[in-house]
Amino acid sequence: MRTLYLSLVITLFGGCSIKDVKPWEKGTLAKETMREGGGDVLFKKFANHIYFSKEGSKGGGGVAGGGCGCN
Amino acid sequence: MQLRLSTISCFLLASSSLMAEDYVSVEYMGYDKESGRTTISTPSIEINKDFGADYTANLSVMHDSVSGATPIYHDSSSGASAKIPEGTIYKNDIEYSDVDYEDERTAVTLSLTKRFESRDELTIGGNYSKEHDYESKEMSVEYLHYLDSSKNQSISIGTSYQKNDVSVYCSLNTDECDSSSGASEKVKTLDVFSAEIGFTQVIDKTSQLKSSLFYINEDGYLSNPYMRVVRDYNRNPKLTQEEKPDSRKAYGALVQYSKALSDRLTTVSSYRFYSDDWEINSHTLNGELYYEFNDKLTTGVGLRYYTQSEAKFYNASADYFTDQTYASSDRRMSSFDSLNYKLSGDYKISSDISINASLNYYDQPDYFSAFYYNLGVKYKF
Repeated sequence: MRTLYLSLVITLFGGCSIKDVKPWEKGTLAKETMREGGGDVLFKKFANHIYFSKEGSKGGGGVAGGGCGCN
Repeated sequence: MQLRLSTISCFLLASSSLMAEDYVSVEYMGYDKESGRTTISTPSIEINKDFGADYTANLSVMHDSVSGATPIYHDSSSGASAKIPEGTIYKNDIEYSDVDYEDERTAVTLSLTKRFESRDELTIGGNYSKEHDYESKEMSVEYLHYLDSSKNQSISIGTSYQKNDVSVYCSLNTDECDSSSGASEKVKTLDVFSAEIGFTQVIDKTSQLKSSLFYINEDGYLSNPYMRVVRDYNRNPKLTQEEKPDSRKAYGALVQYSKALSDRLTTVSSYRFYSDDWEINSHTLNGELYYEFNDKLTTGVGLRYYTQSEAKFYNASADYFTDQTYASSDRRMSSFDSLNYKLSGDYKISSDISINASLNYYDQPDYFSAFYYNLGVKYKF
């Protein structure tokens, strides 16, 4: 599985090389702006709720989400 | 010695920023359909609390108040209502236009994360939401496992089960029950099983890649009791409730790439593919760009493009359906594209308090567009 994943990464980002980043070098990676939605969990839920109620597909954002009668 | 101290302080800084933090976030979110009457207002609160280094609890509560109108086929001679009239319906009285509705929904989500000695994480979550005609209960479990000692690669596996109860009111006169049955409602069930496997790879100090595969199996009542189709329009027109299949199997994949282009400029982009056995295939592209003006102010812009193909049982015409088993004129089952534009800002008033706001414009060309927005305060404690 790991080999398959690494192959996918290499295919998608052929120009990039994967580096061994130490824990103390991860300050930038931990920024909220490195996350989709800028780390605003509540608004991301609200936006996903709007997309789900207006579109015919869903999924990919994690298994937890909750249901609603907006289908 | 100086180098060692510097390394240690960098490690502590990075570690503290990687840890979950204690905060309360309060937001007001709103939605206004352009050239329409639909408005949604959603006050919400989220509390995140660490219990030592090994446990984190997260609680969020959202309350939606919806007031507006949605377009469906109805009999104009008996008013703009989703109720299916008894007796003969005339062609000229069949209209596709807005029917008023109101709804309220409260959703509560709770999750607890346990970190093991290896720093692997187990998260157990629950979700409950209630509307006047819909009740949903969900349990989820997710396990995150680091594949290397530097924690640059991880794999996650998650699953959830959702049980939904749909109340079909007999006053709507649908095939499920009608006003002569003596009952006020008939409760239908919908079970949803989801599974997702994800991988995260840190590429270097400024970029990382996340990817996931997901599967969703829905089994039960998937029709909307308020949606109508016209059958036998040319011979003996009838309004009936839409009929969607009682199962749906979907799968898809998501890839997300985050990159800090400089100390101040960050981009997050993603692509999602979705496919189901109703023959809906969709593609979603999302791009966001954040700029930190200084230590206090961060602004962002975003663009999301969505496109889908139509379900095999969809048709918008009044004169298409006759005796087909499955039939829907629900626009969400059609083929369409949409665009979403986003502007956001976050301002840190102090080290503990920040305010955030965003404005979004969602557009499905030739159908509808809407603004939605939020205004929030976050307090770290």
